[in-house]
Amino acid sequence: MASATYRLQGDIMAASFLQLWEGGLVRRCSRQRGEGRNETPAYRDEDGRIRIMLTSWKLFRLHVLLFIFCRHVNTETPDPTPPPLVPISPLPIDARSVVLKGESHTEVVELLSPVNLTLECTWTGNQNKGPNITGFWRKDGHEIGNSHVTVELEAEQYNLRRVFHIISEENLGNYSCIFGREAKIDFVLSGPQIGEVRDKPIVSYVGDSVVFICKMDKTKPKPTAWDWYKANGTDREQIVAAEEPHRYEIKNKEGKTQLRMHNLTEADSGLYFCGAVYPISTTVGQMELQVITLYEPLKPFIAIMAEVTILVVAILLCEKCHPRKKETAGDGINDQTNMQTQTENNGSETSSMRQRKV
Amino acid sequence: MAPPTATKLGYTPPDGGWGWAVVLGSFISIGFSYAFPKSLTIYFKEIQKYFSVSYSQTAWVSSVMLASMYAAGPVSSILVNRYGSRPVVMVGGVMVSAGMVLASFGSTIMHLYLCVGVIGGFGLAFNLQPALTIIGTYFHVKRPLANGLAMAGSPVLLFTLAPLNQLLLDSFGWRGSFLILGAILLNCCVAGSLMRPVNKHPQREPQSDSPASNRAAAEEGARGGCLQKFIDVSLFKHRGFLIYLVGNVVMFLGFFAPVVFLAPYARDIGIDEYSAAFLLSIFALVDMFVRPATGLIGNTSCIRPRIQYFFSFAVTFTGVCHLLCPLASGYSGLVIYAVFFGIGFGMVCALLFEVLMDLVGAHRFSSAVGLVTIIECGPVLLGPPISGALVDKFGDYTYMYYACGVLVAVPGIFFFIMNYYNYKKLDEEQRRSVAVEMRSDEEAAQHKIDHDEST
Repeated sequence: MASATYRLQGDIMAASFLQLWEGGLVRRCSRQRGEGRNETPAYRDEDGRIRIMLTSWKLFRLHVLLFIFCRHVNTETPDPTPPPLVPISPLPIDARSVVLKGESHTEVVELLSPVNLTLECTWTGNQNKGPNITGFWRKDGHEIGNSHVTVELEAEQYNLRRVFHIISEENLGNYSCIFGREAKIDFVLSGPQIGEVRDKPIVSYVGDSVVFICKMDKTKPKPTAWDWYKANGTDREQIVAAEEPHRYEIKNKEGKTQLRMHNLTEADSGLYFCGAVYPISTTVGQMELQVITLYEPLKPFIAIMAEVTILVVAILLCEKCHPRKKETAGDGINDQTNMQTQTENNGSETSSMRQRKV
Repeated sequence: MAPPTATKLGYTPPDGGWGWAVVLGSFISIGFSYAFPKSLTIYFKEIQKYFSVSYSQTAWVSSVMLASMYAAGPVSSILVNRYGSRPVVMVGGVMVSAGMVLASFGSTIMHLYLCVGVIGGFGLAFNLQPALTIIGTYFHVKRPLANGLAMAGSPVLLFTLAPLNQLLLDSFGWRGSFLILGAILLNCCVAGSLMRPVNKHPQREPQSDSPASNRAAAEEGARGGCLQKFIDVSLFKHRGFLIYLVGNVVMFLGFFAPVVFLAPYARDIGIDEYSAAFLLSIFALVDMFVRPATGLIGNTSCIRPRIQYFFSFAVTFTGVCHLLCPLASGYSGLVIYAVFFGIGFGMVCALLFEVLMDLVGAHRFSSAVGLVTIIECGPVLLGPPISGALVDKFGDYTYMYYACGVLVAVPGIFFFIMNYYNYKKLDEEQRRSVAVEMRSDEEAAQHKIDHDEST
């Protein structure tokens, strides 16, 4: 089993840019545009850090372009060549490193906020350790362009490392580093998951109220906010409690949210979602509501009552119709002690018995 | 043979025939009484969310139901003494059903405490006592077997109700489920209709009752006064009853806690949730088969005369089981423990009321069981919370198991010693009463001869 060790390494340019937009724009900017990438000169220093030099004019132009075209971005993550970003303010940096001894391994990485993440894969190789092997990266099953690298065998190990800018929900997913065709390490990048979500529908009644609860595990960090959505066809419509306070009531505590709906109608049946909002993404939990009328349980109720009535009447009738059999099965036990004694209950009865016997 | 008290019935129990239908009726009633409060726990999570209360407040519903069931014991006994088993069971069935139906419309948790807890609990009490009593009226020779079969109702119904409740919850929510459970509980009325009062044909002579002992019994009856008319409080002077009572009160303090904490203990030592739940299923399954088997064994001619020793053995066995539980390592160890615990628990439960019937006799059993249940109410309810407190204090389940083991094993040994003493005394009394009878017969015969000679 590969054990995970973590080291930090960062890219200053990307960090600076992202910190500028962190407040609001980044959440809507789900992608980065590689504008002007090829125009900026860059070099790699001794530590492997990427440095960019820009003139002030280019700096200004870059800012403007990035600001205007914030929404129109492509999905490609930046390749190892210097990113076209200016050192505005640094992003936090994080790294995950996995040493693989077998054939494959999956590592779950939980992220809260935008970060520059370095993923490092180390493979000890198998029997035929060649001097070189081709390594590349995949995101969600699709190969990341220009990521093919020839990896050399260093100290009996192959090493692949790459920096990813995880800014928003689009950047989360399943990243894999692959060595040739033999070894694969998966990094599953996601926000904190909501625990304990009921997979079966919650049943409630017309005119009744229902409570939905979403809880984030105590061990996991608390979300900045909670949202509730109702499914409307394929879309999700946010539930704003303020609009209909007599119907919806949302109570939020630190790691827990509660949605209470009053005066249910059959139209309220369907899917509901609670969203735990984090800087990087919103984790969503799903639950289903079914609203039924009182007639639904009334049907089995009446059926069972009918069964009980039939059985009771049948048993009692049976008793009345067949005359009571003499319930005297036990024979030999007491006959021998046929003495003229009184019983506790009816002295007169036994005296008549005695007369009969004698 | 059995002590003479058991045979002062005034008629011969059928020991078969319609008696087996009565056993079926008792099976259903006893099953609902014991299994229903436990099976309600499946709804607690939903109810807790709905009423926005804490889990312990929700768990009170079961506790109130169990407490009412035990506390209403004497009331049930009085009614059975007065009206017989059948009407009481039918009224009980209607009560518990009505309680559940009312609860399904509840708007506060207090509503549930009253409807499910109090009304439901009383209804179940009106099912339990009569079901136990009527077995004593129908069976004498095969009574241990009949008791064992009837008591098997508890694990069988628990096994059935648990998945049924889950299914109902998923299909209808807690309100609809309570409504349907109300209908299901009406089957107690079906059980009641089977409990035909036994035919007390005065055709057979009763067992040897010396005039001396009869006079003593009549005096005892008169002494109790007003209360005695309803419930036989002279039982508190009955040696066997007192032994039973004292031993049981201590035993019940540590009896149910191991069942309650089996799954949490398993999870505590690292077993996953499903395997932990499976341990309880193993326990229930073993319990289900051991109860009738114990009845069969108790019926054999070598055990029956000294059935009190069998009961003492069963109690001691269970206690030793708990003491050895902390030695169980890993899942397989706990499985072995669950099997042995199931055997012990089943044996004790099957014999629990049989030995009481054996001690006080079938005609006083109704009052005896009423008094016993109300006194046992305390330890039964206090046991699990005290054990829980022990677990919280030491952070470890082993001390709880040691405590429960001691609380069960010591009464077991107590039963052995006291029953030995009791049997000796009973044998002495038997010999004395036989001697008195023989003397009185001789006198009567002599008197008759004299009378004949004089005429």
